[in-house]
Amino acid sequence: MSTSVSVQPARWPGGAHARRLATSPALRVAARRLLSAIPVVWGVTLLTFLILNALPGDAASALLGINATPAEVREFSIKLHLNEPLWSRYGHWLGGALTGNLGTSLASPQSVASILGQRLPVTLELVIYALVMTLVVSVPLAVLSARRPRGIIDRLSMVGSMASISIAPYVLALLLVIVFAVHWSVFPAIGYQPVSQGLGGNLRDMTLPSIVLALPLIGFYTRFLRADLLEQMQSEDYIVTARAKGVSEWRVLTRHALRNSFIGLLTVIGLNLATLIGATVIIEQIFSLPGIGYELLQAISNRDVPVVEGIVLVFGTVVVLANLATDLLYSVFDPRIRHVRARS
Amino acid sequence: MSVPAADLIIGPLEPVTAEAAARPQARGWLRSAEIVIPGGILLVLLFFCFIWPLVYQVPKPVGGSLLTTNLPLWSPGHILGTDMVGDDVMSRILYGGRVSFEVAAAVQVIGLVIGGLIGMVAAYRGGWVEAVLMRVVDVFIAFPSLVLVLAIADSLGPSEMHVIWALSAFSIPAFARVARAATLRLRDQPFVVAARLAGTRTWRIMAGHLVPNMMPQLVTFGMLGAGITIILEGALDFLGYGIPPPTASWGNMIATGESFISVYPRYVIVPSIFLLVTVLCLNLLGDGLRSRWGVR
Repeated sequence: MSTSVSVQPARWPGGAHARRLATSPALRVAARRLLSAIPVVWGVTLLTFLILNALPGDAASALLGINATPAEVREFSIKLHLNEPLWSRYGHWLGGALTGNLGTSLASPQSVASILGQRLPVTLELVIYALVMTLVVSVPLAVLSARRPRGIIDRLSMVGSMASISIAPYVLALLLVIVFAVHWSVFPAIGYQPVSQGLGGNLRDMTLPSIVLALPLIGFYTRFLRADLLEQMQSEDYIVTARAKGVSEWRVLTRHALRNSFIGLLTVIGLNLATLIGATVIIEQIFSLPGIGYELLQAISNRDVPVVEGIVLVFGTVVVLANLATDLLYSVFDPRIRHVRARS
Repeated sequence: MSVPAADLIIGPLEPVTAEAAARPQARGWLRSAEIVIPGGILLVLLFFCFIWPLVYQVPKPVGGSLLTTNLPLWSPGHILGTDMVGDDVMSRILYGGRVSFEVAAAVQVIGLVIGGLIGMVAAYRGGWVEAVLMRVVDVFIAFPSLVLVLAIADSLGPSEMHVIWALSAFSIPAFARVARAATLRLRDQPFVVAARLAGTRTWRIMAGHLVPNMMPQLVTFGMLGAGITIILEGALDFLGYGIPPPTASWGNMIATGESFISVYPRYVIVPSIFLLVTVLCLNLLGDGLRSRWGVR
């Protein structure tokens, strides 16, 4: 991108702005980070492969069940290329993955890419719905708490957030099911309706799972953001400046401190994403959502190596990209970081 | 006037953080209350789980009579009633609590020792040692640990020992990160530099100077981690990859209770309350210790 811009700057639609973006040190830092992330993602796929191979049992016997004869199992494992040595199988998979071919599921004739294509949107919707819920609740709550530390709102939200961090997702799911599905029948206990069959039904099915996913996050982010806001308000020079200019305390809090605290929050969200995706496995299982976590559990018990590898690859990439995006967004929110990087 | 050398070496170890400095000192009893109350509740729970069954005749957690199934709460002889196969619920809670506490303690200790060592050595040595160790830790962190946990539990068969090893896959890299950050902060402190200049051996610096100074941080981290471990252990039981019934554990009590949720919601609610209280106390205690010791 940088070469095409510098060679033909005039034809670049963004003009000067695009050129500045392409030559920005922040982008170079990002590129370096992206390169160093590659070995990590590769390590993740290798680790998965080794673990799945170290497990007793293989796809052939797992798929044929306990009644299969040894001859049938042998024949089937030759068909699945399970008789080849470990390194040749991994090399085969890696070669395919590098060229964008994730292979075919061992359990079904479907390709891994099409399985991911079907399952990923469900999980993504769950995560995004939960994150939106979390931010909508925890940002105002943290601001109100930070406005009067040790006030009534602060105390209530601290107690509530501690409780919400401490509750186990499966317990929360069952309690919500008792109240909203068994008792009041507002939301369904299990099931999933794709968006194509109506957004209303889809959101209705996704609400309980998203609440379960969101509640611990709400507690965690509220506590984090409140602590960060308080620290900003007490120690930062720009807060002193804003106060000296006569900006009202509420405005200092929401316009100056909050803006800066978002940086910390972004980091936490980026770091949390791995855990969040992990949590979807349990939640999808409880609510029978056909997402990627549900598929993962099945694939592990079937020893369906290509599917597990595909899912792990997606997880790893998402986590690495999210951390990278967090780094880049830093400079959007904090001019100090932007300028330091530009000067260096 | 020259500064005494001792001041240079001893210096303030932990600069008071802005948050801690800004927090007006709460009255003495309030400050200790946030440690004493959750700590006390945990001690009571530990006592009832581990010692009470030894000194007092508690009904067996398995092999209850089918003639006395589904007794309600507060039945004579069965304070929390009996479950669908006639086992005493109170006894199952106590024995299940043992499992939760044992798993949580083991996983945190394994994480603290192995992860702490990895992080400390990586940060203190620096160079290629750090690069290699931390890349490996990065792989484990980017790796959806649940895959590993489920794979271990699924293949080795469900048992308490396997659950402990599987969950340590979460705690070791996490402790390694924390220990590395702590060591990086301590490494160039005057007292460590002084020890190094005095020719103290590396392992002595680690054992005598680094470890004691990062313990508060690691221990509070372990408290919070223990809560997460208990939740995860329950999750494994719940998914059927953890402690298998009839052995009692809070997770599998909740899981088996799920089928009876519309008739006898108490089978889910009673173990859930114990789970919630335990994890809440661990979190509160971790938080209280953190602000008491001034760790971030």
